[in-house]
Amino acid sequence: MKILLEVLITGLLMGGLYALISVGLSLQYGVARILNISHGEFIMLGGMTTWALYTALHISPLLALAICGPLALGLGYLIHRTLFKRLLDRAPSFAVFEGNSMLAAFGLMFILQNIALIAWGAEIRGYSYLSIPVHFLGTLFGANRLLTFGIALAIGLAFYLFLNLTRTGKAIRAAAQDPATAGLMGVNINNVLALCFGLGAAMASVAGVLISMCYPVHASMGLEYTVIAIIVVVLGGLGSIPGSFLGGFILGLVGSIVTFLEPGLALVAYYIIFIVLLLIRPTGLLGR
Amino acid sequence: MLEIRDLNAFYGKLQVLWNVSLQVREGEIVAIVGSNGAGKTTLLHSILGLVRPASGSVTFLGRRIDGLPSYAIAEMGVTVVPEGGRVFPEMSVRENLEMGAYPHRAWERRKEALKYVYQLFPRLKERERQLARTLSGGERQMLAIGRALMSRPKLCLFDEPSYGLAPVMVKEIFEIIQKIREQGVTVLLVEQNVRRALEIADRAYVLENGRICMEGECAELLESDHIKKAYLGM
Repeated sequence: MKILLEVLITGLLMGGLYALISVGLSLQYGVARILNISHGEFIMLGGMTTWALYTALHISPLLALAICGPLALGLGYLIHRTLFKRLLDRAPSFAVFEGNSMLAAFGLMFILQNIALIAWGAEIRGYSYLSIPVHFLGTLFGANRLLTFGIALAIGLAFYLFLNLTRTGKAIRAAAQDPATAGLMGVNINNVLALCFGLGAAMASVAGVLISMCYPVHASMGLEYTVIAIIVVVLGGLGSIPGSFLGGFILGLVGSIVTFLEPGLALVAYYIIFIVLLLIRPTGLLGR
Repeated sequence: MLEIRDLNAFYGKLQVLWNVSLQVREGEIVAIVGSNGAGKTTLLHSILGLVRPASGSVTFLGRRIDGLPSYAIAEMGVTVVPEGGRVFPEMSVRENLEMGAYPHRAWERRKEALKYVYQLFPRLKERERQLARTLSGGERQMLAIGRALMSRPKLCLFDEPSYGLAPVMVKEIFEIIQKIREQGVTVLLVEQNVRRALEIADRAYVLENGRICMEGECAELLESDHIKKAYLGM
């Protein structure tokens, strides 16, 4: 019984991180129409940077959050303005743009990954932060796990409120539903698309910081998280933040249960969920 | 207020507008009428920055606006009620209206504007929290008009406002367009329903095959043989 509880809580804690990763991708694909294969690389960059800051300069990972988030936001915004904006201008239709932008994102993935390999090498890195055991519902968990979960939830909630309550947030939602009409209402679409890509990158890198607080990181960790994010986004329903959280929790739970039974099969289980879902409900659980 | 000179525009390689010139003076309702495929929508889109004209100019309040992006034109006080409404389906009625107030000069005073729009369309107030996709066709059209008014426009374009609506609804929409003009908003109306359009407008331009073939006071146009034969079925 205690073991079961432990497995479930582990799954939920993992799910919070998965959700955060997926909200970012959902934004990039749902609004900016970029299936960002390089999404995981921003997670990796966040994680590796945090490790480097912590080991070389003793900068706290919490401070790294405040450094990596804005940096990734700026980098993502710039990448959209220079690379994806040009692809969008040249593409005769959104369908063509989706294809081209995915290929460009593939290229971006290799570039970012190789820069990281040159800078930090291929070794698996880790550091220990707040790994003090804490009693939680009768089980023991690292304080770092609980902290990262809380931060992931808080960021998700803050972002949800941003989209629903602010002028810019509403412009993002309007642009997702009908970009041309949003433009006629006064929304600068190119700005909104670049902002969405930047925000997606920022959430990925923040998730990377949080991941590095609990798990080892390395330069080629990105793709696995990209795959997870894609599965969660499809599972929850594209463009739905509550959907991303629901999908993240489900995948986290499944992952933790399967890992408990047979550690090697977690990724296989993810793919099985993905395929079954595409067959039964391709719009996702909360998608329309 | 709005002046278009010698406008030529293409759709792909096909020329859609040929040397179109027209003007709209402050406080007027001007109609652009013509059959399907005459180039009405392309003309509207060149005013709104959605189509880049090949040559010619569009001037609004003395400033060239051809070549400007849509959002900049919206900031200047030009708004549109698009064909079919084009409301944001996954946003509530209220949020749709708030999106109308997106331009900076309108955003600060959006609460006031909201009151005015709800007064004009009590039905929108009742459905404030409903998602726009659950509205009927007529209600969507009202929402689109309300959204346009939220921007405190100087010039409001209407793209086929009667299209697909029941006759009762059409009558209501046209009454509202007149009311909007009384509030000081200049109106440019694009319509296939030629009779209705000529009844409420001051002046009209007739667009055929991408060229303006007739223009003048609506009362005169309604008496012309060509209009009677080609558009009014008389």
